[in-house]
Amino acid sequence: MSDEVFHDPNVPQEDYLSGLRLARRDFLLKSGLAAAAIAAAPTWLQSEQAAAAIKASTSVGAVRDPIAANAVAAAKKHSGFSMGRVNEAGPQALDDKNFSGPLWEKLTGIKTNLTEAPFAQIRTKIITENLAKSGALDSVEVSPAWIPDFADQGVILPIDALVRKNKAQATVADLHPLYRALARYKGKTWGFFDDGDVWALYYRKDIFANAKLKAAYKTKFKRDLRVPRSWDEFNQVAQFITDQMAPKVYGTGMGRALGNPGNQFYFFQQFRANGGRFFNPQTMKAEIANAIGVKTMNQILLQNKASPPGVEKLDFVSGWGLWLQGKTAMIMAWPPTGRISENISQRDKAFSFLPKSQIVGKVGYARVPGQNGEHAGAFIKCVMATSENQDAAYLYNQWATSPSISLQRVMLPYTLRDPYRISHYRSPAYKKLWKGADQYLVTLAEAANDAVLDLSMSGAGDYANALDRAMTSMYAGKDVKEALDEAAREWDSITRKLGVAKQRASYANFLKYPGATSKNTIRKLGQAIKV
Amino acid sequence: MTSVPERSRDAAGATRVVRGGRFRVGGVVRFVFIGVYVAFLLLPLYWMAVTSIKSQDDQLSDPPVWFPSDPTSVNFADALNRFNGWKGLQNSLIIALVTTVLAVALGTTAAYSMARFRTGGKHLAFWFLSQRLMPPIAVIIPIFLLYSRYSEEWFGVTLIDTRIGLILLYTVFALPFTVWMMYAYFRQMPAELEEAALVDGCSRLQALLKIAWPLAAPGIVSAAAFAFIFAWTEFLFAQVLGRSEAVTVPVALAGMITFFQGNLYGQASALTVVSLVPAVLLGILVQRHLVRGLTLGAVQG
Amino acid sequence: MDRHIRWLLVTPAVLIVIALTIFPLGFSLWVSFVQYDFTLGPEHPWVGLDNFVENWKDPVWRASLWRTVWFSLSMVAIELVLGMLLALAMLRPFRGRRALMTLFVIPLFISPVVVGGFFDLFVRRPYGIANQLASWVWPGTVTIDFSNDSPWLYIVLIIADVWQWTPFMFIIILAGLAAIPDTLYEAADLDGAKPRQSFLFVTLPLVLPVVLIAVTFRLIDAAKLFDIIFSLTRGGPGTDTYTTSYYLYQQGFEFFHLGQGTAGAWMFMIMLTFVSYWLVRRLLKPLEEAA
Repeated sequence: MSDEVFHDPNVPQEDYLSGLRLARRDFLLKSGLAAAAIAAAPTWLQSEQAAAAIKASTSVGAVRDPIAANAVAAAKKHSGFSMGRVNEAGPQALDDKNFSGPLWEKLTGIKTNLTEAPFAQIRTKIITENLAKSGALDSVEVSPAWIPDFADQGVILPIDALVRKNKAQATVADLHPLYRALARYKGKTWGFFDDGDVWALYYRKDIFANAKLKAAYKTKFKRDLRVPRSWDEFNQVAQFITDQMAPKVYGTGMGRALGNPGNQFYFFQQFRANGGRFFNPQTMKAEIANAIGVKTMNQILLQNKASPPGVEKLDFVSGWGLWLQGKTAMIMAWPPTGRISENISQRDKAFSFLPKSQIVGKVGYARVPGQNGEHAGAFIKCVMATSENQDAAYLYNQWATSPSISLQRVMLPYTLRDPYRISHYRSPAYKKLWKGADQYLVTLAEAANDAVLDLSMSGAGDYANALDRAMTSMYAGKDVKEALDEAAREWDSITRKLGVAKQRASYANFLKYPGATSKNTIRKLGQAIKV
Repeated sequence: MTSVPERSRDAAGATRVVRGGRFRVGGVVRFVFIGVYVAFLLLPLYWMAVTSIKSQDDQLSDPPVWFPSDPTSVNFADALNRFNGWKGLQNSLIIALVTTVLAVALGTTAAYSMARFRTGGKHLAFWFLSQRLMPPIAVIIPIFLLYSRYSEEWFGVTLIDTRIGLILLYTVFALPFTVWMMYAYFRQMPAELEEAALVDGCSRLQALLKIAWPLAAPGIVSAAAFAFIFAWTEFLFAQVLGRSEAVTVPVALAGMITFFQGNLYGQASALTVVSLVPAVLLGILVQRHLVRGLTLGAVQG
Repeated sequence: MDRHIRWLLVTPAVLIVIALTIFPLGFSLWVSFVQYDFTLGPEHPWVGLDNFVENWKDPVWRASLWRTVWFSLSMVAIELVLGMLLALAMLRPFRGRRALMTLFVIPLFISPVVVGGFFDLFVRRPYGIANQLASWVWPGTVTIDFSNDSPWLYIVLIIADVWQWTPFMFIIILAGLAAIPDTLYEAADLDGAKPRQSFLFVTLPLVLPVVLIAVTFRLIDAAKLFDIIFSLTRGGPGTDTYTTSYYLYQQGFEFFHLGQGTAGAWMFMIMLTFVSYWLVRRLLKPLEEAA
């Protein structure tokens, strides 16, 4: 597929993107000024990103992005409309408040009326609005795992016709094939994918290069110390580092708190890397409590053992806190890890929930052990079926996720949007964000090539919650087999409640997604993207 | 609420309050106990206060930082301007104040009638109390539907994401306690003065407004304080019924500290500290009346 | 005249309560008997008692009920004792008493959801201060995982609730104590009563109605304990700190099995009604006698 389809075919891609390049010093200066005038609203206008986005949306010639510009042109007729949005409370919402919202209003005259909700409550807000049908919400952030339920219940709108009408097919073609597939369900497209939440392994290059450590490892295990490729190796290395360096540095330390954002991600990933499947596709009996499940759980418990004390209640962000202070040697985590490690985000005063990185330049990127990283969470921008101005909501989504605008958004220091487009992975501007950013982008693209997906089917939230609860009870000392059996019983009970036949169909549908198992990842399907 | 000070002195027996009971706890034990409790109370408050002036680098540090070497005010600016702080404070203050006035006005009149005329007897009293028994989850969705859809379809008013919507709801939730407190208060208040006024040709309404209410002022103040506290701290309904406009302080705070990507402890502490300003002011304002106002029934001499 | 005005006076309060609760209550009663579940679809067929039964089938619901009982009882008991002692200690004036009173009411003005969040910050390792504090009073270095190890996480939850609500008990009991006239103690003195005897036979009986009203309202609220769980433990680890309210919130609101959640809420309310009615009858007796 061509990467150039989304812009003027006469202009080479590099020219088009270089128009958006960041002048880093200038940017630093300006965000410093922005911090000084923290209360002053229009600081967003001063940023390079805003200027570039405006250019791409309005001008003609090299820097014009037709996807964005067409959306803006078509949306002008809705000027004065107040568009209801839902986004995740915290840094993610700053995108709407400081960047996309004001920009969109400046370009089209459409106001954004933002509701901020914590991740799990976004779903609730959408469902309750669907019940109320008050027309208060127009453009919403939907996690791929919710798409089946939302699509089946008619909560969100299929956008295929609108994409054709606005000639925006090219914006879909530029997505990584994994993300292209995620917004599709039952043969229709339900939104624009907007956040490449794939996990990778982040490790400390300096620790792995430590000669004394390497020698000691070799003596002990008769093999070389290297970035681990399997979970058994990971646990061995992590425990070794902890034994050698704790309490200064621990082998690992990942957020394990209940529901924050949930331990199921860890299990989903390692369980499938170990070759497990969630259900028997015929009987729909849960298969998480078998030998593979027990093995997976024991591996996870070993990771806890190599972690700093208190890891059982560590939330994900605090896990980042430890990492940035150099207290952990490896973590499997979301893409912002790479940016925050290099202090890209912390330069902006708006991004004030993490400490400064003390490990700048020391971080390496790799695929997660077991090779199949989880694609965990993520967002798709959807249009509410109850929206009173579906056209405006759709156009906003098209504009915000268009190649040029989304590139600016994934480069915003203060939000947590992650690269997801082929053009993002290849963006010269992004590569210049820090030394090693090119490697980072390669890793993300490769991770997406190998990624496995969250369980995305009817009742996904219930299944995840049952698993999350079982896992935290194991952290607190419950017997592994017993807890897994209980989780499997809960899964069966959920399946029974929702209807076995219905769930069977839903699971079968999930299995068709690339990345549903470790056997049908994008790479195995031969669609891998090379950066 | 403003006419309280002078009038109430003779009403509820200020002199009795000051001298108090005669039960003696050994002096030293007494102050050690108070001291320990103050420490227990202050420690979390200190940690909140110090967290609000810590820079992000000190926030998640091991070992914990007891006092930052470089105190910062950035959390305050951040919490107030960027994370709905001002909006929340404004909304919470208006919502809590109006709720207080409504709950006290409605609750006191109802309690007066129940106490003086035994209106509704035990059943009405229990009915008011029972409003507090239902777990929120049973009614939260229907209230959401009522506010976001039916109120508009049936009455043409929008209540979702409005202050007035929360005010109405909080008034209903605050009423049980207001009614019960004032009910008990009026029960122990001697009826003679009102009766004398009636004999002098006052109407019953005049007796209520001119005699009973001023006499009950201390009780009203404390009932008001608790209504205010309820509306000031409620979280679940505010979270569900608010969107972008009627954001209250608890909702703004919960968004900062309770969720993934939201460990904004510095900002949350800052907003909590700011939100305590009205609390302390109110505390100073009412504490003199609070105790006196709560002198309930059955303690007549 | 009085006949009309007495009803006129209660009407506004009764009306506003009815206006805002009649639809929600009717709706929730209906929801309890139909299929109302987002994942199952938009139809609402009648399912009889299924929603009620579904709760009892879930061991988490059953465990949450017992936990709610002992949580609320122990919280309210500690708050009562602490509040009573504090009220006794604060009864006689001393310098700084007024300032202390203002300080004491501060926790009431902080939302429980925020209190829970902050207690989480205090106890979490390695950033929290709990272990450091414990090391001061306990010999050696304390490394307890306060938020994960039983029974410590229960203790933390109870302490958080006690921190927040003891002032409520304190204020109400202090008011009750303050209202006891000196003459009664003087009479007891004349009869040769020891301090302890005058506490048992003069103070306690007189302050009891006040205590009951405080206990009733605290108990009702404690039984619905939600906010602190929501922000401190999320019910975990596992389901170890699920209270009934939190369970119902999860079922009904987070996963949108609204029929089941609402049916559970009704059952819970009926149980709570029995308890509070029993309490209220005791509460009303002295009030009746007072008149």
